[in-house]
Amino acid sequence: MDAVEAVAATLWPARFGKAIPYLLLLPAILLVGLLVLGLVEIADSSLRTLDTSTFLPSDYRTLANYERALTEGLFRTVATRSLLGAVIVTVLTLILAFPYAYLMVRTRSAGLRKLLLIALFLPFFIGQVVRAYGWLIVLGNQGMVNEALGLIGVAPLRLLYNYPAVLFGLIQYMLPFAVLMLAPAMTAIPEELESAAQSLGANWVRTMFHVVLPLVKPGLVGAGLVVLTLSLTDFAMPAILGGGSQDFIANAIYDQFFRTSDQGLGSTLALLLVAVGSILAGLVFMIFGAGTLASRGARR
Amino acid sequence: MKKTGVFTSSVNRRTFVQGAAALGGAAALGVRPGFAQEPAKPSEIIVRAWGGSWVDSLKAGVSDPFTAKTGIAVRHDLTEDNEIQPKVWAAVAQGRVPPIHINWDTTTNATKSALRGVTEDLSDLPNLKNTTDLAKPVGLDGYPIVNTYGYVYVLAYRPEAFPNGAPKSWKDLLDPKFKGRLAFYNDGIGFHFPAQVAGGGKLEDIPANMQPAWDFITQIKAQQPLLGEDPDFTTWFQRGEIDAACTISTNAREARKNGVDIAWTVPEEGCKFDTDGLWIPKGLPENELYWAKEYINFALTPEAQQVWLDGLGLPGVVPGVNPPADLVNDPSYPTKPEDFEHLIRISSKVQVENESDWFAKFKSIMQG
Repeated sequence: MDAVEAVAATLWPARFGKAIPYLLLLPAILLVGLLVLGLVEIADSSLRTLDTSTFLPSDYRTLANYERALTEGLFRTVATRSLLGAVIVTVLTLILAFPYAYLMVRTRSAGLRKLLLIALFLPFFIGQVVRAYGWLIVLGNQGMVNEALGLIGVAPLRLLYNYPAVLFGLIQYMLPFAVLMLAPAMTAIPEELESAAQSLGANWVRTMFHVVLPLVKPGLVGAGLVVLTLSLTDFAMPAILGGGSQDFIANAIYDQFFRTSDQGLGSTLALLLVAVGSILAGLVFMIFGAGTLASRGARR
Repeated sequence: MKKTGVFTSSVNRRTFVQGAAALGGAAALGVRPGFAQEPAKPSEIIVRAWGGSWVDSLKAGVSDPFTAKTGIAVRHDLTEDNEIQPKVWAAVAQGRVPPIHINWDTTTNATKSALRGVTEDLSDLPNLKNTTDLAKPVGLDGYPIVNTYGYVYVLAYRPEAFPNGAPKSWKDLLDPKFKGRLAFYNDGIGFHFPAQVAGGGKLEDIPANMQPAWDFITQIKAQQPLLGEDPDFTTWFQRGEIDAACTISTNAREARKNGVDIAWTVPEEGCKFDTDGLWIPKGLPENELYWAKEYINFALTPEAQQVWLDGLGLPGVVPGVNPPADLVNDPSYPTKPEDFEHLIRISSKVQVENESDWFAKFKSIMQG
């Protein structure tokens, strides 16, 4: 044993111990480094305009793409729609996810908990695109919902290819993410705290607002952040459920890269989207504190 | 350009058999005579294609017979044309072998690639001498692409929704009863030019003044149309989501084959006529380039065109190809000069230089 320790001490002297945290950071640094390298390339591309006589990017650098992105009505409309949609989806998803997660954590019925878990995980096995196409079948003019409405004499309704349909699809897609992030935060709240509040005279509503909600705040903030950024950058739901007229920023970026071959403008929009997403995340950390997402921070 | 070393180094049984097969294949294709000129065959060539009935037709008319005659398998890559384009451009720019041997592409998109300098010259294809003017790309030197057929963006409609007969004008779509029941391509392709006429403008004003087109498209926007791609149109017609669409006649014909009650027409303002073509990206090994050219050369034979274009229901570029029975005298299958009177052709050069702006303008109206 001493020999093994001696070999280990030779290979990894005790004074190297301080380096361990940095070594553990290495994968993250590599990952972020690769992302930064990609962003540098995209930043360079964003400064080059498309020459339609050769379909090559310009040799010189200019801010023309940024000017277009910030002044053209199309991009303003799409950006506003994306931001508003992301906020609406985040709020509604959290409202729906909270009772789901609470019930899943607090229920005394093992059967119900399993059912809720299965319902939660099942969508993960079905990709986003397949789910969106599923909604096309369910909500289409000849879909199940309209057929059911037809049975009571209601004429077919246009349930698809509009903004509410996109938001609906996003909420359904985001709900499992939010529940999965809320559930651990709720599990960390000792059930005795709620019992104590109620034994001191608080009814269920007061207990919920004054005990559970403050303690579950880290989970709410984390879930909100994930849902907000995923919704803001989503491509498939607006493309499939929006009928082509409800584009989000990701769809506009796709159009520039693949439809008009203008990689410079596409890069510009991509960078602006990264910037907006980062600013939103920064705002959340500013308001709630960087330690919000850690349970230790939440209990300060 | 022809690799002969493989035949002069070590002639064993396998190379002899390969060479004999190549000779037989080439003789059957009627192209490159001479045993010594046949380079080594690749195990497969990859042809980018559109899916559904598009690739089925190509397979039946060109790919399968090509494989039968040469022994070279053909793999169809169904990556969207717009998505393969940046991949090919990047491969050529970085000196890599491109991901496909042949790109089946719209002429406008292909012209962009030609202008960028990523296409091989196809001027030496022997079968080009048998083609009509339609095969030659306009405004480009030589043959960086070969157009293989033409097509029309027709007004497809459900006869049930038009009890008084086929719509005579694109303006008929402004009837309030069609609100939410129309469909267009999501970049407006195929509709810009008819809209210019329907909006009171002139085709000669394209591209300088297209305000009439934008005004008419704004009126159409009030009808809350659906916007999509080729497969969407067929699906929407099948599911009863739409009553009319501006789409390529092939999609409407496919829906009709699937049992959907659908017809199409060329309204009085006209319909856009355009072409698709085949091209080869630069950077292929020489032997693969040779066989890729052979594939395109074979696609220009009357027998290949007949089967391929029967499936698509589109007029080809080789004289003597007959229209399918259901498309004789159909406005979407122009064969005589008078058939083109109501079809709108704008040069590829004008389209390539302005298409991005037109797409952006259409999007801007529709997303507003």
